[in-house]
Amino acid sequence: MTSEALIDYVKGLLGDKTKWADPEAGDNFLTVASEDWKNICQTLATDKKCSLTYLRNFTGTDYPEDDEIELTAHTFSYSEKHGLIIKTRISREAAVCDTLSKIWPAAIWYEREIFDLLGVSFNNHPDLRRILMPEDWVGHPLRKDYKQQETYRGIPTTRPA
Amino acid sequence: MDAMVEQGPEGSFVLGKVDDLLNLARKNSLWYMLFGTACCAIELMQTGGPRSDADRFGMVFRATPRQSDTLILAGTITYKMASRIRLLYEQMAEPKYVIAMGSCANTGGLFQESYAVVNGGDLFLPVDVYIPGCPPRSESLIEGLMLIQQKIEKEPWLKKAWTNTKNPKDPQIEGLL
Amino acid sequence: MNALADFIINSLGLSGLSAELVMLLLVVAVAAAVFGIGMTISGLLTLAERRVAGRIQSRIGPNRVGPFGLLQWLVDGLKLIMKEDVVPHDADPHMFRMAPYLVVVGVFAAFASLPFGQLLIASDLNVGILYLLAITSLVTVGVLMSGWASNNKWSMIGGIRAAAQIVSYEIPTALSVASIILISGTLSMQGIINEQGGWPWQWYIFYNPFTFAVFFLYFTAALAEGNRIPFDLPEAESELVSGYNTEYSGMRFAGFFLAEFANIYLMSAIATTLFFGGWQIPGVTPEQQAGSLVLQITGMVVFMSKSAVGCFVVIWIRWTLPRLRIDQLMSLCYKYLIPLSFVCLGGNAIYLLIFPKPSSANTLVHMITTLFGGVLIVIFVTRVMYHHRISGVSLDLNFLARGEKGKYNPETQVRAYGSFRKKYEKKQGAK
Ligand code: SF4
Repeated sequence: MTSEALIDYVKGLLGDKTKWADPEAGDNFLTVASEDWKNICQTLATDKKCSLTYLRNFTGTDYPEDDEIELTAHTFSYSEKHGLIIKTRISREAAVCDTLSKIWPAAIWYEREIFDLLGVSFNNHPDLRRILMPEDWVGHPLRKDYKQQETYRGIPTTRPA
Repeated sequence: MDAMVEQGPEGSFVLGKVDDLLNLARKNSLWYMLFGTACCAIELMQTGGPRSDADRFGMVFRATPRQSDTLILAGTITYKMASRIRLLYEQMAEPKYVIAMGSCANTGGLFQESYAVVNGGDLFLPVDVYIPGCPPRSESLIEGLMLIQQKIEKEPWLKKAWTNTKNPKDPQIEGLL
Repeated sequence: MNALADFIINSLGLSGLSAELVMLLLVVAVAAAVFGIGMTISGLLTLAERRVAGRIQSRIGPNRVGPFGLLQWLVDGLKLIMKEDVVPHDADPHMFRMAPYLVVVGVFAAFASLPFGQLLIASDLNVGILYLLAITSLVTVGVLMSGWASNNKWSMIGGIRAAAQIVSYEIPTALSVASIILISGTLSMQGIINEQGGWPWQWYIFYNPFTFAVFFLYFTAALAEGNRIPFDLPEAESELVSGYNTEYSGMRFAGFFLAEFANIYLMSAIATTLFFGGWQIPGVTPEQQAGSLVLQITGMVVFMSKSAVGCFVVIWIRWTLPRLRIDQLMSLCYKYLIPLSFVCLGGNAIYLLIFPKPSSANTLVHMITTLFGGVLIVIFVTRVMYHHRISGVSLDLNFLARGEKGKYNPETQVRAYGSFRKKYEKKQGAK
């Protein structure tokens, strides 16, 4: 499907649950509410015409001014040769979201990364541990207000003058 | 033995000569560990290659820390890796030496501001030689190894007691054993 | 050795307890000498390996200690003695300490029945070759022990692999040795050499087409028994850190290391004895050789050079071939080497039924096999020379290259070598 055809189709499929970006703003993406996040992803992945079976990338961004964290999933369909970007926003304090690992198993690792670096915890995730930083690290480095600890296991984190 | 060591301010002649012989042996067989954490490791491999041939000085790589004499910190060290490197260092047999190769291992280099990168290998290991460069050329690395050789030459091996400093409760390697 | 003991005891007129004492001292002295010779040979082999590897990789290799770096092996040994002897906290300390001794004993005890010369053999056992096969099996126990006692998964896998590999490859080795025993009719090392002659067509490798095949079977199986590339799975660096000796440091590691290189010499020496006529000099009968000291020494040199060629081939293979996978290794043994060695054993038996005595027909077969072997060698050499010619690189076989001397100077020391050197110097001259 072409990009326009896919957007029209998804609009018809999901109805008023979606919010679409301004078409002038580069790649088109759809934003959904965090309560619908899992269900909509499930629909898009299993729908015959969409069949977005492949999770290319899944990442998060911190927006302290909106007090929100944005999660972005880049999906792709090998059979239909089209891709779609799906976004959601969750609150910064609670930072809880439903897991996508039942839909796309690859999301297990992406969600561990988001948990590690942004501190978002995913409900029903099978193995939610840190993936990049050490297990006993304090804080989530990609949060914009992150302050590094003074020492880690006795190693100073700033170079003494 | 002690009486012989006491003679003269510089130690006895006999022990001095024995020390020279032993140090000659140690300095000409400086096996380094086959270990690298980032791009400097490519230059480390190249140092064993035909252009610079570290084997001329008897320096060959060993894959295991138990059999190596020098630990070359070749590359960017993250905090997660630092405890592993520390563990590798503890596993090496005395006498052992550490070389910090490249700006990353010296000071954190161009990743110094990063939250994940250790700002220099000397913050958690006793570094003997620092080699500047990003990456240092193989000539520099060989010169660094030669500086270790010069250091070995000056060490009184017979008088120096290699104390076993290993501490399983070391906070830096906790949970890895 | 017995002859020597008798001579000393008789000339001193000893008897009873003092004769026993002299005998004991002599045994200890000969054992020490054999051990020393074995150590020296394996030490020199480590150096040879590094020089040959250097040449193959267009490097120089160790050249700083002693003339041409010839003392490098001593220096390495001295350093390893000085290193701390680590016994891991969770290891089984007694087994961990004992394993290197077993390996060293297994390999160096085998040197006792290697015929370096007509009279230069520590103990010419009448079951010599059987003794060699048996005593080297101690290595398996030692290696497995070291892997188990280290309490380290890499060591463990390495030890298990070594045990599986050595036990499997003992079968083709023993079967190929059996073929030779069938022909020679004796198990004694000197006996086997005495049955052969100095000229190539008198060697057992060219005895008949089956022995020709048996040699290659033996060589492959022995390579695998010695854990050499392409069969060095027990210490595969890319998978197992350093295999069964991962946890060993200092002198205990040196034991493993020396035993490995002694094993290379051992297999070359056994191949020389079984297939290449040992110390036999072309055109000289063993009786003539027994009467002359010069011929004796020549015989020793002949033996040494034959086995040195064998060692060189092993090192050459080491730096040329990649490593096999474990299943390939096992199927090579059980699917190909063992059936083939059975075929060769049967073939030899049938051959001996047809030509039981030395006859002109027998000699004709030797000649034809020799011719065939010669043609194979010529084909191999021409192929190598052809590929060398089309590669356009000049061949430099200077294994004793000095490299640069004196104090370290990055300007002159780190620079191109070989044909690259000429280009480099041209460039420097142009500047
Ligand atoms: S110093 Fe330069 S070359 Fe070396 S690891 Fe750091 S960035 Fe890479």
